[in-house]
Amino acid sequence: MRVWTWRALFLAGVLGAWEAVARPLDPVLYVAPSAIPGALLRVLRGQDMPALSGHLWLTLQEIGAAYGLAVAGGLWLGFLLGLRPLLGRIYEPILAALYAIPSVVWYPSLMLFFGLGPSSKIAFGFLLGFFPIVLSVLAGVRQVDRHLITVATSMGAGPWAVFRKVVLPGMASTLAGGLRTGLALSVVGVLVGEVLGARSGVGYVLNYVYGLLRTPEYVGLVVIVAAVVLVIDGVAGIFEARAKRWAG
Amino acid sequence: MADPILLREVSKAYQTAAGPIPAVRSVSLAVRDQEFLSILGPSGCGKSTLLGMIGGLVAADGGQILIDGEAVTRPSPRKVAMVFQDPGLFPWRTALDNVCFGLELQGVPQARRREVALGLLEPVGLKGFEDRYPRELSGGMRQRVAIARALALDTPILLMDEPFGALDEQTRLLMGEWLVGIRARTRKTIVFVTHSLQEAITLSDRIAVMTSRPGTIKDVLPVDLPYPRDLNSPPAVALRAKLWDHVRDESLRAMEGRA
Repeated sequence: MRVWTWRALFLAGVLGAWEAVARPLDPVLYVAPSAIPGALLRVLRGQDMPALSGHLWLTLQEIGAAYGLAVAGGLWLGFLLGLRPLLGRIYEPILAALYAIPSVVWYPSLMLFFGLGPSSKIAFGFLLGFFPIVLSVLAGVRQVDRHLITVATSMGAGPWAVFRKVVLPGMASTLAGGLRTGLALSVVGVLVGEVLGARSGVGYVLNYVYGLLRTPEYVGLVVIVAAVVLVIDGVAGIFEARAKRWAG
Repeated sequence: MADPILLREVSKAYQTAAGPIPAVRSVSLAVRDQEFLSILGPSGCGKSTLLGMIGGLVAADGGQILIDGEAVTRPSPRKVAMVFQDPGLFPWRTALDNVCFGLELQGVPQARRREVALGLLEPVGLKGFEDRYPRELSGGMRQRVAIARALALDTPILLMDEPFGALDEQTRLLMGEWLVGIRARTRKTIVFVTHSLQEAITLSDRIAVMTSRPGTIKDVLPVDLPYPRDLNSPPAVALRAKLWDHVRDESLRAMEGRA
């Protein structure tokens, strides 16, 4: 309770200070908090700007596709390399090196390959979400207690039973962490892709209002995007906590 | 009745970068039906490797291992159950679900699994702890869950690899007494690996003494003493002295070999 009180006081203080600083200054450059509710309303109504709902829906679909591919590809490659030690030793350093390269440098080439449409955003969201998932699978497989595998084998567990009943639960919390990070990064990838160049999607609308210097609407959009992302991450967090509880 | 476990000239070497390291050399041994046989030897003498080979977890390089007359190539959970020094409980399963594991693999229906597991946890003094997770149990309790998990397979043979090795002395003594009781009830054939003279004398019908690495059987001594065993009785003291004589030599050799 005390924590919540202090947190609320802190946020109120920040907003108050922001308001005090912004009010006497140029409203195009400095958007006061008091201007945001009105701007939010205009954004949601699509007043003098593209209607948000269609673009938001498209962005969510892109995120869904990017993340779905990242999960499928990440799990596949992760288990392939993790369960075959030789392959892992060959390819894991390459993966780690690729992960260390700032992903934005790939984006121009993705635009060349996939064009301005949704596919380049999906590709970028996939690329960002994919690495933390693969790496968490590799780390998770390695972290499974070998002795537990011996014990299960002694009781007659074959490779599939060992995988399902020992490896998977043994790595669940690490994997859940990787899946959550992957989701957050897939969201970032899609949004960054849209902002860098798109004809539709939330990023496109952001660019649109920003290009017209309608900063209050821009801030309103940022608030909406933040809310959506918080909801997505919150749901992912619930799943992660559940997986951790399940895995003990 | 034929001997349930038969080893003929069994050997095993581990391949390392520095070349093969022999672990077990030419072990021949017959374990009789319903017998409690201890394998006693210094640490690192290959006793665990030997047990792993009997359990089908480690492949032998040479010789023959027969369980009920059949060559061992992989674990046979319908005939042989194993208990290890590290209880190896699944941390994400409750005590009850840990005990159920083997039956789950065999496709036994859930209600039946539960019934069997509850019936095994009660006599090991874990009634009321069924829903606890391993981290909430003491070391002795964990090992009892692991033993209950092995007993759940209801096999005629039980292989135990220093099961009380990680426990404090008091718990160890109590667990030994408890195992004597279990054994009297279930009449299993038990092979028990240990480095404790006292444990071997208290529990076994026969004691096989192993040499230091590469391990082979040096001597097999019968223990003709009634239960519960008094370690201070003259025959027990004499046996202990004889075992110590064997083991001391081997332990010294093992120590020098390592130094």
